[in-house]
Amino acid sequence: MIEVKDVSMCFRMSRDRVQSLKEYLVMLVKGKLKYKDFWALKNVSFSVRPGEVLGIVGRNGAGKSTILKIISGILKPTEGSVSVRGNIVPMLELGSGFDYDLTGRENIYLNGAILGYSKKFLDERYEEIVQFSELGEFIEMPIRNYSSGMMMRLAFSVATVVNPEILIVDEILAVGDEAFQRKSRRRMLELMSGGTTVLFVSHDLDQIRQMCDRVVWLDHGQVKMIGKTKEVCDAYQI
Amino acid sequence: MKIKWNLQKGCLAFLAAYAALASLFYWIGGEQLRTRVDVEESISPSASAGEILSDTILEQTFSAQYDRLTDFSVLVGTFGRVNSGTLSADLYVQDPQGEKELVEHFSVDMSQLQDGGWLNLRLARPLEDAAGKTLVLAFSSQDGSLGNAVTLYYGNSIAAGRVEVQSADWIPLYKDGQPLEGTLCLKTTGETNLWFGHYYWYIFAGAGVLLAAYCWRLCSLQKKGKNCLGLKLLAAFSRYRFLIRQLVGRDFKTKYKRSVLGVLWSFLNPLLTMLVQYVVFSTIFKSDIPNFPVYLLTGIVLFNFFNEACGMGITSILGNASLITKVYVPKYIYPVTRVFSSSINLLLSLLPLLLVVLYTHTPIRPAILLLPFSLVCLLCFCIGMALILASLMVFFRDTQFLWNVLSMIWLYITPIFYPETIIPARFMVIYKMNPMYHFIRFARTVVINGVSPEPKAYLICLIFAVGSLVIGGLIFRKAQDKFVLYI
Repeated sequence: MIEVKDVSMCFRMSRDRVQSLKEYLVMLVKGKLKYKDFWALKNVSFSVRPGEVLGIVGRNGAGKSTILKIISGILKPTEGSVSVRGNIVPMLELGSGFDYDLTGRENIYLNGAILGYSKKFLDERYEEIVQFSELGEFIEMPIRNYSSGMMMRLAFSVATVVNPEILIVDEILAVGDEAFQRKSRRRMLELMSGGTTVLFVSHDLDQIRQMCDRVVWLDHGQVKMIGKTKEVCDAYQI
Repeated sequence: MKIKWNLQKGCLAFLAAYAALASLFYWIGGEQLRTRVDVEESISPSASAGEILSDTILEQTFSAQYDRLTDFSVLVGTFGRVNSGTLSADLYVQDPQGEKELVEHFSVDMSQLQDGGWLNLRLARPLEDAAGKTLVLAFSSQDGSLGNAVTLYYGNSIAAGRVEVQSADWIPLYKDGQPLEGTLCLKTTGETNLWFGHYYWYIFAGAGVLLAAYCWRLCSLQKKGKNCLGLKLLAAFSRYRFLIRQLVGRDFKTKYKRSVLGVLWSFLNPLLTMLVQYVVFSTIFKSDIPNFPVYLLTGIVLFNFFNEACGMGITSILGNASLITKVYVPKYIYPVTRVFSSSINLLLSLLPLLLVVLYTHTPIRPAILLLPFSLVCLLCFCIGMALILASLMVFFRDTQFLWNVLSMIWLYITPIFYPETIIPARFMVIYKMNPMYHFIRFARTVVINGVSPEPKAYLICLIFAVGSLVIGGLIFRKAQDKFVLYI
């Protein structure tokens, strides 16, 4: 389903990022255009089988988010290749692409379109989304008037309405007030255990143990360990 | 996501549309596709040939490089009085032996002539194959007497900008067999056959066969489950159509969201700009462009679109940075949607143009149906520009300031509020390289003159449109993988 082969990702860090032509020329003349290469990922390979839930663990800066971004196509790896079969719904950050001047209804369609849903699908699920978000009549208001909780509820409802073939989850999201948090957590767990292929990044090892079939441990951009959930988690926890 | 695109039906519809459009085009294009009208301008007048008396014969030998000579005009002087009687003009064809054969005899009522005006003579039957022939024009007047006669002008220099340049090889005007120091002020109009119109149906059929073959190939490839560029494009189009529509909708809805007049601004903006420029250029600077309001507004509407599309396109990648770093969407979507959003504005601003056309009683002819051609070409050109500018902008933020200056220069080197005729001939080369000049000229020919431009104009517009699209696409494709790292 997902095949990650020898993926390396290199970020070029110049001491100060050159953002204008003048700066660039000045730096060029001074001979100060020095870059420091930073390898966020180095020769990472693993594969995910259909229906499998793969956990990714590692410390901050180990390259977890980078690998998720590469798999979802946002970043292109410097070396190596990623092949993905099936459509991906990334749940990396909610509400990207919301426009504050549009109403909730318009934003559902806009955000849905960005996530790759079809118009037919959104028409069918519209009621469900509104109901889940508990926004009621506010749905016809411009979302700049929403509270942050309302906004997150709407974003969550749009993002989780699908049954994607591949789901990418960066931490289980729990948003809103307590009742909604419980509800959203349940929805996430439902989605993840529904037979779809899941890539799951979390710092909560209990959740990883509970949900995942296999786990990849990333350390400083390299795969330190890959295998059965229990073994990897035990090794990681020490 | 399954592509619910019935390819076979789509191909058939496409071919049918092609046939219909091509036939319609032949009908609208009309004469302009088959022949081109050329005018050979006259020499500047420097002296008059004196009164044409009853025993005077003015004879001018000339050639006309047309397939068909239709008109000629001469500059007449009446000495500021009303003369009576007739002036006769005879057009001969002279064979190499010097034998003259009369083509047509004209007699003109001298009392109708205007002092310093052009006397236009139209051949009853156009002279075919004029190019190879030596033509002779002879003027005389039986009624001419001292104090009651007209005259013709001659000269030997041509106007080039502000200076007069000696004309190189002129054939002298003969007065009663004596050569004068110059050639007759003579303007000829003729038609030249164009191969495009002549072979139109062959070209049409040939292109049709090619298209059909390609469609057939697409269908067979799809059946076999293989992929190719055309199929990929169609798939991408059907897949991202909804997203593009949503993004365009957003741009459009938010643009005028909190303004009182809202979408009315799309009408008002070009109209007000036109009004201001009209007042400035028709009162303060005199301009003698016929139908100036329409001339001006066509230019403004098209250039505004270009300006807006590029201005919006330039920030399309940076402005959507939050999206690009979070969700995967093909990045070309952003510049393309920005250009589409401004094209909605363009469509809306065509309405004021229509109003002004009606108001100025410009006749609306079928040729106006050709306007979409130049608009589509302009759209493609803008997409290409937006792709280039957006990629540049990611790497160098100076681009937008540079672009401000550049677009201003562009505005001034495009004949929007001044006539083409004031452009010195030596700068014409630069003008010919300006795509906007061609798009606007195309639109003006169609709207103001009500005829189709010559086939070359189509080709030039197409080349600029496709060229910019290809170059923009290539640059964008090369740069897009690095965008995430720089925004």
